Parts: sequence; C-alpha cells; structure tokens
Amino acid sequence: MKTFRRFLSRVRSLGTKKPDEERLREEIEEHLALQTAENIRAGMPPAEARRRAVLKFGAVEAVKESYREQRGLPFMETLIQDARHALRRLRMAPAFTVATVLTLALGIGATTSIFTLVNAILLKALPVANPGELYRLGREAHCCYLGGYSQEKEFSIVSYDLYRYLKDNTRGFSELAAFPSQGSFGVRRSNTSDAAQSYPGEFVSGNYFRMFGIRPYAGRTFTDADDQAGAPPVAVISYRLWEQRYGADPSVIGSTFDVDQKPVTVVGVAPPGFFGDTLSNAATEIFLPLNTEPVVESDSDLKKYNIHWLNLIGRIEPGVSPTSIEAQMRVELKQWLVMHWSEMSASDRAKFPEQTLFLSPGGAGITSMRQRYEDWLLILMAVTGFVLLIVCANVANLMLIRSMERRQQTSVSMALGAPAYRVISQPLLESILLGLAGGGAGLAIAFASTSLIWRFAFPSLQGVAAVPIEASPSVPVLLFALATSIATGLCFSIAPAWMSIRVDPIEALRCSVRSMVRTGSLSRKALVILQAALSLVLLSAAGLLTTALRGLEHQDFGFEQDYRVVVSFNPRLAGYQAPQLSLLYKRIHDSIATIPGVSSVALCLYSPPKGGWGAGVWIDGGPAPGPKDDNSSSWNRVTPSYFQVVGTPIVRGRGITEQDTATAQRVAVVSQAFVRKFFGNDDPIGKYFGGKAENGHEFEIVGVAKDARYFPHVLDQLNSPVYFLPEAQADYTQMNLGSLFLHDIVILERPGANVSFASMREAIASVDPDMPITAIRTLKEQVALQFTQQRLIARLTSLFGVLSLLLASIGLYGVTAYNVGRRTNEIGVRMALGADRSQIVRLVVRSAFRLILLGLLIGLPLTVGVSRFLANQLYGTNPYNPLLILTAVGVLGFSTLAASLIPALRASLISPLKALREE
Amino acid sequence: MKAKTEVPQGTLALMVLKTLDVLGPLHGYGVAKRIEQISGDLLSVNQGTLYPVLLKLEQEGSIASEWGTSENNRRARFYRLTRSGRKQLRIETQDWEQTATIIARFFAVKAEDLQ
Repeated sequence: MKTFRRFLSRVRSLGTKKPDEERLREEIEEHLALQTAENIRAGMPPAEARRRAVLKFGAVEAVKESYREQRGLPFMETLIQDARHALRRLRMAPAFTVATVLTLALGIGATTSIFTLVNAILLKALPVANPGELYRLGREAHCCYLGGYSQEKEFSIVSYDLYRYLKDNTRGFSELAAFPSQGSFGVRRSNTSDAAQSYPGEFVSGNYFRMFGIRPYAGRTFTDADDQAGAPPVAVISYRLWEQRYGADPSVIGSTFDVDQKPVTVVGVAPPGFFGDTLSNAATEIFLPLNTEPVVESDSDLKKYNIHWLNLIGRIEPGVSPTSIEAQMRVELKQWLVMHWSEMSASDRAKFPEQTLFLSPGGAGITSMRQRYEDWLLILMAVTGFVLLIVCANVANLMLIRSMERRQQTSVSMALGAPAYRVISQPLLESILLGLAGGGAGLAIAFASTSLIWRFAFPSLQGVAAVPIEASPSVPVLLFALATSIATGLCFSIAPAWMSIRVDPIEALRCSVRSMVRTGSLSRKALVILQAALSLVLLSAAGLLTTALRGLEHQDFGFEQDYRVVVSFNPRLAGYQAPQLSLLYKRIHDSIATIPGVSSVALCLYSPPKGGWGAGVWIDGGPAPGPKDDNSSSWNRVTPSYFQVVGTPIVRGRGITEQDTATAQRVAVVSQAFVRKFFGNDDPIGKYFGGKAENGHEFEIVGVAKDARYFPHVLDQLNSPVYFLPEAQADYTQMNLGSLFLHDIVILERPGANVSFASMREAIASVDPDMPITAIRTLKEQVALQFTQQRLIARLTSLFGVLSLLLASIGLYGVTAYNVGRRTNEIGVRMALGADRSQIVRLVVRSAFRLILLGLLIGLPLTVGVSRFLANQLYGTNPYNPLLILTAVGVLGFSTLAASLIPALRASLISPLKALREE
Repeated sequence: MKAKTEVPQGTLALMVLKTLDVLGPLHGYGVAKRIEQISGDLLSVNQGTLYPVLLKLEQEGSIASEWGTSENNRRARFYRLTRSGRKQLRIETQDWEQTATIIARFFAVKAEDLQ
C-alpha cells in the first residue's frame, strides 16, 4: 500500500518537475540562512558563519541528486528528455530528416501495401462466426462438374445424393452444408420495366447460413423447409445488391423476382460484408436453396447420382476431432460407392480401391483464389523485402555519416563521464523516432496505393461486382506496419550506435578537425555494395518478368486479334428454350452481318481464349482406352465461317461450312494437337470418332485447324487438343443442354471500318430487345484480360526495380559526396602537386565504380539464382538471358556514373589554395 | 577524537517521525537541529541528507507539508505528522522496543545462566 502510494505520487510528480526543484532550492536556502543566523548568534563573523553552515549541510549537489532520484521516475524522465532532445536535433537537420522519412516511407509503404494483399487473400478467414470450427471436403479447390464414380487423388466434390448420405450418417458435424461453384442468374424484379441483369449467384443447402453462423440483416435466411422438393422458391440476396440496386428498399423483402425467368420470393438480406463461401472477384449476390435448382435450371443435376458438383463445408461440434470425422466419411464414401456398384463403369471399378477423401480447415472458405495467387504474392512479398533492405542500407548510411559528424560531441560526453547506455540511447531513440515517422508516412502511401493495386489486379467485369476485400486498414496490417517500422529503425541504427561507443575520448578530442581513425568508412562502403547487388537482382527480375509477359502477349496465339470484336450475350437469361435457339442464332448472325463495315460474323460457345467444353474421345476402330488412360479433349460449338472470322488457318481439309446441316453427315474439325494425341502421324481426314464410349462413329473428321491458345489459365503451356462441331448439327434432345446456349458472337470488321459498339447492340436489340448483353470488348482486350495478373507482377516488380535503383544511386551519391568532403585536403595537395582536373574526376569516379563492381560480383550469382526460380514459374523463359543481365548491369553503371559525377566535378573545382588553408 | 556514529538506514526516518510527534509542525532545519540536540552530538548527520528522507515520507503519506513563515520571517516549508504517520510511528516504536528488549536480554546473559 505504502509502495503503491509512493509510486502514484512519483508518477504525479512527473509533471511538477520545475516547481519541485524550485521548492528544494528554497528549502536549502532557508536551512542555510537559519543555520548561519544561529552561528552568528554564537559569535562567528558572518562569512565564517555561512561557511560553517554550508559545511554542516553537506554536498548540496549530491543531496539534490538523491532528492531527484527519490522524486519522479528517473527512467521515464530520461526517456522523455532524450526523445525531446532527439526531436530537436532532427528539426535542426531538416534535409536529413525529410530524406530519411521519405526513403523509409517508400520502403514501408511498398511492403505494407503488398502485405495488405497477402493478408486479404492468403491469411484472412471468412467473415463468419468461429471460422476455426469449419472444415471443408478436399485439400484443393475443384471445379465444377465431375462425372462417374471415381475422382483423381481425392473425392472433393460430391453429388446431391452423396451429400445426403454423408450428412445423414456422419456424426460430429453440428451442420454440414453443400453448395456448387458459383454461377450466374438473370435477375429482375417482377412486374417492373427493368431489364434482367446477370448477377453471380449460387444454390445452397437449407442449413448454409446456419452453418456459417450468419444472421440475416433483414428478413430471414433459409430454413430446412425452404430446401425441400416442392417448397415455394425463395431467395436471399446480398446486402450489396439490396443497397446498390434497390436502394435498401424494405419492400424488396417479400416481393417476387424473376430469376432466370422463374418467379422467386426474396425472403431476406444477408449481412453487409458476407460474400459467400469463396473469395473471388465476383461476390455471390443471390442465394437460392439447392432444391430450387430443378425449378430454375432446365437441365437439373440435383437428382443425378453420378454428377458431382457440390462443395461441402461443415461446422464440427466442439471437442470432436476432425480426423475421426474424416475416417467416418471415408468409410461412408466406400459404402456409397458399393451401393452404386452396378452403375459403375469398368474404369470406375478399377479405381475403386484408391478412392478416398480428406478434410481440411475451411475457415477461409473455398480457396481457389488463394491457390492462384499464392506464389505470385509471395514473390511480390520477397521483392518488397529486398526494397526494404535497400532502404535500410540507405538510411543506415545516412545515419553513419551523421554519427561521424557527432563524434566530437560523443567524445566530450564520454570524457565527462556519460554512461555508455546514455550515449547509445541517443542515436537509437533518434532512429526509432525516424522509423515511426517513416512508418506513419508509409502507411499513408500504402493505403493510397493498395486500392490502386487492387483495381489493377482485379479489374471488375461489367455488371459483375468487384472483389469483396477491404483494401482499408485492418489491425493485422497496422501491426505489421508498426513492427516493420520499429524493426527497420533498429536495423539501420545498430551499426551507428555501436560505432559511437567505440569512440576513444582522448583520440577524438586530440584530432578534432580531421578524423584519424577510418572507422565507419568500411561499413558505409559495404552498405553501398549491398545496395548495388540487390538492385541488380531486382532489375534483372523485373527485366525477366517483363520479357516473359511480352513473350506471352506476342506469342503466336493461332488466331488473329486485330479488327475483331466479341459480343457476349446470354439467351438463357432471356428465357429461350432449346428448340428456339437455331433460329435465334441465324437472326442474330444476319442482323449483325448487315451492319456497314462488318466483314463476317460467327457465333460460338467459347471465343478464344475462354476455353472449351470437356469430353472423352473414342476413336472409331482404335483400341478402347484403358481405365487409366487419358482420352480427354475439349470441344467447341461454332457456326459456319468461324475459322475465317477468328483467323485460324485450316491446315488440311475444310472448315465448318453452310453445307453441314442438321440432315447431313455429322462432322468435326479437329486441332493439330488433337491429331497428335489421337492419331500420331496418321492422316485423320475421313476418320471417325465419338464423344461416348458406345459410339465411335459419331463424327467424321473433315478438317484440321492450326493449334491455337484456347485456355485462359494455361496460356503459357502447350496447346491442348480441341475439336469443333457445327452448331447446325447440335443434338437438341441431348443431356448437356448448357452447351446449346452459345455465349459469344465474334465479329470481323473491315480494316478501318470502326464499327461502333452501339450499332452492335442495336443489331441485337432489333432481334430481341430483352436479350442481355454481358460484355462487348475487342478480342485484343479479351486476350489482354488473361494477363492482368502477370502484367501486375511485371509492372510492380519494374516499379520496385526502378525504386531500388534510385535509392542505390542516392546512397552512392551520399557516400561519394561525403568522401570527397573529407578528402578536400588531400585533393588540394594533389592539385598543388600538379594533378589536373580530369585526374581528380577520374579518382573520384573510379572509387565509386570499384564499389559498384564489387556489388555486381556479389549480385550476379544471386541474380542467377533468382532468375532460375522465376523461370520455374514462367514457362518458356530462359533464365540465363545475357542480354537482359547486361542491360541491368548497364543501367546500374550509368546511374553510378551519374551519382558519382556530381561530387567528382565538385571535387575538381576545389581550389588548391583554399583547400590547404582550410586545415 | 572519537568517531561519530553513522545513522543506520531507516532510523533517520523514525527519528523524524518522533520529532514531529513530540514538537508538532517543524521546518527542515528545526527537525535537523532537534535530532542533533537529542543525540547529543553523538550522531552525525549531514544535515542535507534529511531532505530526501522528508520527501520519501511525504510520498508515503506519513507526513504532509505546507508553506509557512519561519522565526526570521522567511518563507519556509513546515512538515507535520499525518494520521497514517502516527500509526506508522506507533508500529515502528513497538518493533524497535521489542528488538531493543531482546538485544538487552542477550547482553544481560552470563555464562552461568545457561548451565
């Protein structure tokens, strides 16, 4: 109690330092006066009386010192005093302070903004209750439909029947929810004049919201009763959609909407911030119960046992181990497969023993985005780490120079008996203050640049929502920035602080003008060498990435991009049924073909490089593929003259023409990769193949098209096999109804015609005014969109490369200028002895280049290592590109020259007389 | 010349408390002078060392201080005992007396008493 009261009064007295000192002084004065008066009364002369009084009192300063130690909290006071002192010193050197804070801000800002991305994409959990309790089926994210009774490596998506089986039999989940990959729906409020708009949406099981622990913002979420066959169709919409499209109108809840032309009642709004189960650049805006799927979709998958399309996420009961649940589910999977043994194909049966499944933590939801960006984000993080290192080296250099200037002051302090910890704490405190200021400014830079990078990284598509990630400050980001600033501050101040206590007071005082010891010059040079090495690495990496990107963008795509426009539309949203489609396509084709300036038009399921529909291939007369053979190919449905419109040459036979009608022999055009895979060196023309095991005689091959890049995610890999079917021969009674709805219209313009997008919209509107157009862009844009990520990385790395070069040049300039300043005398002597100006310039520049050369020697092996790592990430890139490395070396050399020339020229202008007199 | 006795740690504080208890409010010089008088010059105190002790006692709440006027009409800081100071004095006096009694008994003991 006593101790506590004392501590409190000590803290209180922190603020009353001055009055307290004054009080003590007064008390001592009074004490001495009283004692003197007493001594005088005892008969002493006044001077002697005063002397005796002082003697009796004892050492006044010692008393004051011990009084002070008793009074406040000396440690805190010293810290505050030192901080105030440091601030004053920083204010006295504005150029130094501004340069340091700016440099730090750039480094910390860059690191923080990349960390914001890393945090959002790689580290963050879904905004749901207790994400740690969630587990999902599968180790990797799989998409979207798998048929049959076997899956490679792991069973990661399931059919509705299998979901029910697992849900009913597994113990340990408080809820197990299912949902397919996101799709899109045409949404329109009923009985309004609005056109249907396409929004990302998904079907979810009735316990989906309950499993996530999500409460409705308004209305209600789903119940199990909503998710039953025959239940009235209902929907939950996102807060975003409700607020942005309908102005948060409360009457939306309870009203009827047309979802893909089917009436659905909106019963609730999900809370703000909830974006569904998957982080992507299109957040789910509308949720429907799984059992609504047969109502909304014309070809339902809900009742198919062998179509696997559902992801599973479950919340486990507290205390249950996920391993035991996993073990149960493995057994159940086998039991379920055995129940369907009679329907299984030979290959499914062969693969039966190895069928298994895995559970993995599901707090982050379905992490396809994480998988796609992980490597790249880590590379970026490493790059910014390098930049931060360069920044540290630079600032450490500035600090070293500063501590050299302070040597004299330090030696005086030490000579007067300042303890080493006080001498160190001064520059250390200064550095931490600088680090924090830099961190603050860096945070500002980070917030400004993160949203820029964001827009750059994930360009949101028309009519589709942007990434539901906050680019704004969050606690982890702030903590990261704070930790980085302090670590940086410590990192760049340890060397200067260590050096300052190595000062020998006598030595330093003796030669006060010139420093005899060469302390520090070695470490300064080492820092410049390090910077040069790191800059070389970054510049080469930037060059490599840029070259790789250019290689990707200018590769032979196998189709032409100039003068081509792609209009994407969605007849499904407009309510078309399969039998109407053929006529619709013809009318759209004819309507667009009559626009002046349009040379030719083709419709297709997928325009390049959007991909294709997957299928197995059985060659007529060929051996049946074994259970584990890969007989997969992609295919595309196109209208006549498609090859001419996209500019893919036919190398043998013919393309799809008007003569391929519904009644003619069913034909196919195949790609060169298809021929290589299924025919080797044989001539494929006139041969037959089929898409189903029973029928190898389905299509006759009439032509071979040149290979082209069709797949967005493998644009940097080898061409994969594709075949093309004429739209007119589509089987309108088949199962895969989705493949009947063509999405893209490719339009070839005459050179210089410049057909406006508006006229294309009008042409389609003249066929059907309600036809939703999802996008119009040139084929060039469509291709460029596939490289956004690579472009982002290449540009950011280039930016950081230039930044590091700039920083390294500034560092070199600082060191050279400082050395020239110290060598003024020597240069004066040299000139007095007959050296001319060019010799002096050479002297200075040579010493600068020596440092850079050393940096290059260290940097080259590092560069080769980094290049090899990058080349692994970039298909078809040569890691040893001598031209590239030479360019980087050249750029580095040039900036060295620029950085050292200014101080060199200044040195050459030194007047020998003046230089000598300065001593 | 006989060496003067050093003041053990903590004793000075007790002396200050007792002085203030007996004489009422006093300034620093007064306290110093009383201690000197009572100890009969046997105890040497560098008078200045009194002030840190006064501060510590005040921080602990055993004494309080305020400005007043001294005998020669100057501003001086007067210290007085607080209630908790009085309590502390009582406790410490008891402790001290107990210690003194025990020590005294030890000194009084002769070899034959322990047979």
